[in-house]
Amino acid sequence: MSVGELLSGAEILCRVLLEAGVDTIWGYPGGAIMPFYHALPEHPGLRHVLVRHEQAAAHAADGYARASGRLGVCVATSGPGATNLVTGLATAHMDSSPVLAITGQVPRHMMGRDAFQETDVLGLTLPITKHSCLIRDAAELADRLREAIAIATEGRPGPVLVDVPKDVQNQRAEYRPAPPGPRGPRGARGDGAPARGPAAGAVPGDLAGRVRAAAELIAAARRPLLMVGHGVIVARAYDEVRQLAEKTGMPVITTLLGISAFPECHPLHLGMPGMHGEVHVNRAIQHADLIVGIGLRFDDRVTGNPKGFAPRARIIHVDIDASEIGKNVPVAVALVGDARTLTAALAAAVAPRDCAAWRAEIRGWERRRGARYRGDLSPEAIVAAIERAGGERCTIVTDVGQHQMWVAKLYRYRRPNTHITSGGLGTMGFAVPAAMGVKLARPHDDVWAISGDGGFQMNMQEIATMVQEGIPVKLAVFNNGYLGMVRQWQEFFHERRYSATPIWSPDYVKLAAAYGIPGWRVRCADELDEVVARAGAASGPVLVEFLIEQEANVFPMIPPGATLSEAIEAEPAAAAGD
Amino acid sequence: MGQALAVVLDRELLALSRAMGELRRRNLAITSLAVGPADVPGCLRLTVILDTDDATAEMTMKKMHKVSGVRAATRFPAEEGVARELALVKVRVTPERYAEFLDVCDTFKATVVDEAPDQAIVQLAGPGALVLAFVRALEGFGILELTRTGTVALPRTAAAERAAAPAS
Repeated sequence: MSVGELLSGAEILCRVLLEAGVDTIWGYPGGAIMPFYHALPEHPGLRHVLVRHEQAAAHAADGYARASGRLGVCVATSGPGATNLVTGLATAHMDSSPVLAITGQVPRHMMGRDAFQETDVLGLTLPITKHSCLIRDAAELADRLREAIAIATEGRPGPVLVDVPKDVQNQRAEYRPAPPGPRGPRGARGDGAPARGPAAGAVPGDLAGRVRAAAELIAAARRPLLMVGHGVIVARAYDEVRQLAEKTGMPVITTLLGISAFPECHPLHLGMPGMHGEVHVNRAIQHADLIVGIGLRFDDRVTGNPKGFAPRARIIHVDIDASEIGKNVPVAVALVGDARTLTAALAAAVAPRDCAAWRAEIRGWERRRGARYRGDLSPEAIVAAIERAGGERCTIVTDVGQHQMWVAKLYRYRRPNTHITSGGLGTMGFAVPAAMGVKLARPHDDVWAISGDGGFQMNMQEIATMVQEGIPVKLAVFNNGYLGMVRQWQEFFHERRYSATPIWSPDYVKLAAAYGIPGWRVRCADELDEVVARAGAASGPVLVEFLIEQEANVFPMIPPGATLSEAIEAEPAAAAGD
Repeated sequence: MGQALAVVLDRELLALSRAMGELRRRNLAITSLAVGPADVPGCLRLTVILDTDDATAEMTMKKMHKVSGVRAATRFPAEEGVARELALVKVRVTPERYAEFLDVCDTFKATVVDEAPDQAIVQLAGPGALVLAFVRALEGFGILELTRTGTVALPRTAAAERAAAPAS
């Protein structure tokens, strides 16, 4: 039994991060986290990226986590630093992303006295973290931090927050490297894994029997569908899903966060379902007699009105989180566990079949996409140009709104996990900072951050971070002069009263120049390929603004509260008059 | 009477806050809450009586399983378990009405645990409805102060076996 080293709390923080394989930290210093920043230069294995706003640190850590499949780390000081992390943590929580937030806190003897820059960050973040803790003593720091990291990354991933008072960062304690083997007696809870002890009643018992039951349902179904979500990406169950699809001939639907979990050019791929899903995709759901859902939560943007969702279908639901089963839709067979293991078991258990007649039926419902956009700089053309410029090694990060739907529907993703977006929380301002995280996780990929003019202006200050740190993200701004998706809702459901949706933008080319990066404005299709190719070839950060039609809409659209059978497919009659 | 939810969690306020947060954000109708030491060392046992349907209680239990710091969560229809609460009532009792007061206590099998001139503290343990009836009976004397623990409950053996059966 060796004696541990005597280190400060701040040094222990750094050591445990290195133990966990962390190489990149996104953060912003301040009073209560200064001991940590003092220790940081002695740990060159930890690259620190100074962001321009703590929200960006949380989004960048999230983007890094999603792209790498490993822990993303952000650091902030107490008070305003900590509160600025909140949106990023909520985003990571909704999309099950393993993010660790370390926050400084006022010294222990000042807590609860409304000290300068004191805030109850644990209280603030309780409902948006998977786990959080206050470190009361440097002696417990290493174990508590290891436990938090384990909780963030195990089971269904999620954000965790560790609040460290400034005097605990300075306090010296014995540090011993992590012992191999299982963690301490507390274990990782809160991961949605079945509870032990008396709670075993909630655990589905005979998993093998359930897999057989699921396989029998698939064999008996006439119109089966495979719906895959983010869980397939988190579990890296791509090959298993593909085997299951190819063995059965089931058409595959990918949810917004499931996009790129199944190759878009595969003949079995149908598209995205839900509020902006293509009509034939939603129609397939409404006509299906069996839905095999893997790693998705049947979110309301996917189901529309759940009472009218897939009225003919029985549902097999594969998910690692037992509390997702039956939450939004009734489930016939529940398979709780790792998507990769269970999908492999299901693929092995199913009898080979083909669903050719059913697929032909769905193909008959496909509509030819008409000329939906006035002007020639259509979203289709822009997405196609980016796809051509990006080639095989390209990851797309989108923001929230119309451009997000256009890219989701139009970009043909071939490689797994190359589409990263804020799905559950729908956080505008996500793309620019998240793309920094994606780029550092995937230095050999072209990383495009695609935003609207609204979302871009929420976090465009991060261009400075990209320049200072040399993070060559390609920034694309779809500029229509409106908060486009809100404007679309106003057009459809609020009598075209464009209240607070027209939005002014600065001159983005000059903005780029002010940051010392190349910037281009694309006004028409003729300029498109050349500019996008130049942006694609650039070695540093670049900005491309696309001036698109002001009142372009995303079609089709299921009105909020309606069922998947009630799509709006074209401009409403009220808008046709002018 | 509702659904009883029994949650065993780490004995720390943060874990308790998280568990309460699960109840709060779901906007559930809560009839009663009780917290005390659990049979597991270092743990609390939280008993919640929910006025809700079976499916909501099931979902709440599953969500409780996910809460960081929660060790176990079970549920059962409260009427299928043994449910009790304890009340302490400080009552004004004048010497003239003392015999009448003792009669009421006797009827409910309540115990006088403290006496002072013109007042007494009386204790009663029992099902919630009994406690309520007792409090009503004492109102005529004048209740000075009242505290109730909230309901604690255990499933009867038959109900416990059903709860342990695989879900769905």
